[in-house]
Amino acid sequence: MSPEELERLAGTLDGVEVVHNAPRFPVKGTRAEKRAERSVATWFILSALSALGFIVAFIAWPHEYVAPGQDGYGWYHLYTPVVGFLFGFAVLALGIGVISYVRKFFPEEVSVQQRHDGRSPEVDRKTILAQLAGAGRSTDIARRKLITRSAGAAAGIFGVGIGIAALGPLIRNPWKGGDEAALWVTPWRGENGETVYLRRDTGILGEISRVRPEDMEPGSMETVFPYIESQRGDDEALLHAQRASDAPVMLIRLRPDTPTVKRQGQENFNYGDFYAFSKVCTHLGCPTSLYQAQDNRILCPCHQSQFLATEYARPVFGPATRALPQLPITVDSEGYFVARSDFIEAVGPAFWERRP
Amino acid sequence: MTTETTTRTPRKRWGHGKLKRRLAAAAALSVALVATGGLALFVSEQTDNNVATAQTDQALVAKGEELYNAACITCHGSNLQGVESRGPSLIGVGDAAVYFQVSSGRMPAARQEAQIMRKPPLPQFDPDTEVGRENLDALGAFVQANGGGPETPAQTGAALRGGDPARGGQLFRLNCASCHNFTGVGGALSSGKYAPALAEPTEEQIYTAMLTGPQNMPKFGDRQLTPEEKRDIIAYVKSVTNGNNQVGGLDLGGVGPTTEGVVVFIVGLASIIGFAMWLGAKN
Repeated sequence: MSPEELERLAGTLDGVEVVHNAPRFPVKGTRAEKRAERSVATWFILSALSALGFIVAFIAWPHEYVAPGQDGYGWYHLYTPVVGFLFGFAVLALGIGVISYVRKFFPEEVSVQQRHDGRSPEVDRKTILAQLAGAGRSTDIARRKLITRSAGAAAGIFGVGIGIAALGPLIRNPWKGGDEAALWVTPWRGENGETVYLRRDTGILGEISRVRPEDMEPGSMETVFPYIESQRGDDEALLHAQRASDAPVMLIRLRPDTPTVKRQGQENFNYGDFYAFSKVCTHLGCPTSLYQAQDNRILCPCHQSQFLATEYARPVFGPATRALPQLPITVDSEGYFVARSDFIEAVGPAFWERRP
Repeated sequence: MTTETTTRTPRKRWGHGKLKRRLAAAAALSVALVATGGLALFVSEQTDNNVATAQTDQALVAKGEELYNAACITCHGSNLQGVESRGPSLIGVGDAAVYFQVSSGRMPAARQEAQIMRKPPLPQFDPDTEVGRENLDALGAFVQANGGGPETPAQTGAALRGGDPARGGQLFRLNCASCHNFTGVGGALSSGKYAPALAEPTEEQIYTAMLTGPQNMPKFGDRQLTPEEKRDIIAYVKSVTNGNNQVGGLDLGGVGPTTEGVVVFIVGLASIIGFAMWLGAKN
């Protein structure tokens, strides 16, 4: 059989019947055909040029940060648009080229294929089953209990191993450490009984700037982090204390003679007009650092909870139900702020085991 | 502010050649000479200034009092003591507060409301004109003479932009971004109050706002954020506002997923649907 006959046979065997098939360009070499060919090729050439441009721009275009107003900002700030446009256009033009080739040159064809019935013919079903059963008998697997069971054990235990490896990292015990568990304590606890100072972040790694009362004007707020002397020079430990999610504390200095209400049992947690509250919202743990100096409200930007700094940061609006935990502070003999102890309650959102 | 930097041992770059020692000695000598000369010049200029300012101060304060009596006295009282339910006392607010409030048009206030808004300043207090600057100086001097307070910085304009906008950005995100957004487009506070966008304020206005804590903004005194840190923050603000942060070509307002989502849905989805329709269309 000729290749054409074989091709037709393939269709017939699959139950495909060609109703209509006409080439797009029955006469070869016409002007219309040439034009169509050129338009498809144009897309591919545009794509190739764009891809080439992308490679050149990716390697050679100035990509190092240049601040606005400095020499070379004009070139630098075009880096992202140029690289993005050339890459995107290369992909888009390639796609348009392929699609327009299909639409311009593939023959116009309408074919019909009969659907198969839902199930295989009875004879296929019977023979397949018999074949499988015969294979089982001839390879003796049915009789070899030792082999089937040991193979089952091997595959099963290996599967359990994969399961443990996949799920193991997801299982944590939040109560490891008992009373010292991570949910109960914060870095303000300190280590080995060292004094915990209140430290500000100056934006320079390794610079240690401890906060003193005279640093802050009345009506001001500062974010402070725990610091112990043994961390001096240890950039990693310093960064860890700054980044710990339960460490940030808002140190607020109220204006003089602001009337305040203190929480029972926390009457001596403040130092004069200085109050230190955890920055972590008791609703869902967002940073609540929008301090309004006029009315002394602290806002949470996520769900609009409001806390009153003059009344032990109790919630006065929004979904939060607990006051922000207050850090007991005082000033040491050198004049630096220090934490008298860790928070006396868990910081952040509530959880099942949290004491009320 | 107490700052203790952990020092690292500097790497030795110079050898022990005789020539190098002599060169170093010569360089040290010239540096010392220039420094001494500069210091002497500075000190003598300072003393001259002191004599001169003593006289101009009186005139300036008198002029400031005149301006005060014309524009501010109704709400702040004849002795800056404030007027019940109109305006607070201005004793001790300093000329930095005067500069911020008056040059940004917030004062004189149009009416009592949740927050006094920025508006074009009165023509006689327009910081873009020579007369306006003189009047702002005079008014500031008058308020400063009655109780002191934070003062406007000596530098103006671009000189208030620090050299390290990256560090300024870190400090901005820690101290300012919670209210003003991390690209300085501002944000909402409670009960109609808001943190304004930072595109319009000049360098002096940002600086004096940090110093004085206008309206609901907390104060950031010079021992909390040093003048150098303030200048770095200003450099950062100026590097992300007024179209300077449009590295992608179009920042869509810089307010995050709201506008970006709308554009992706309308423009992105429409073009994908259009493309799919072109794919399926019959010739």
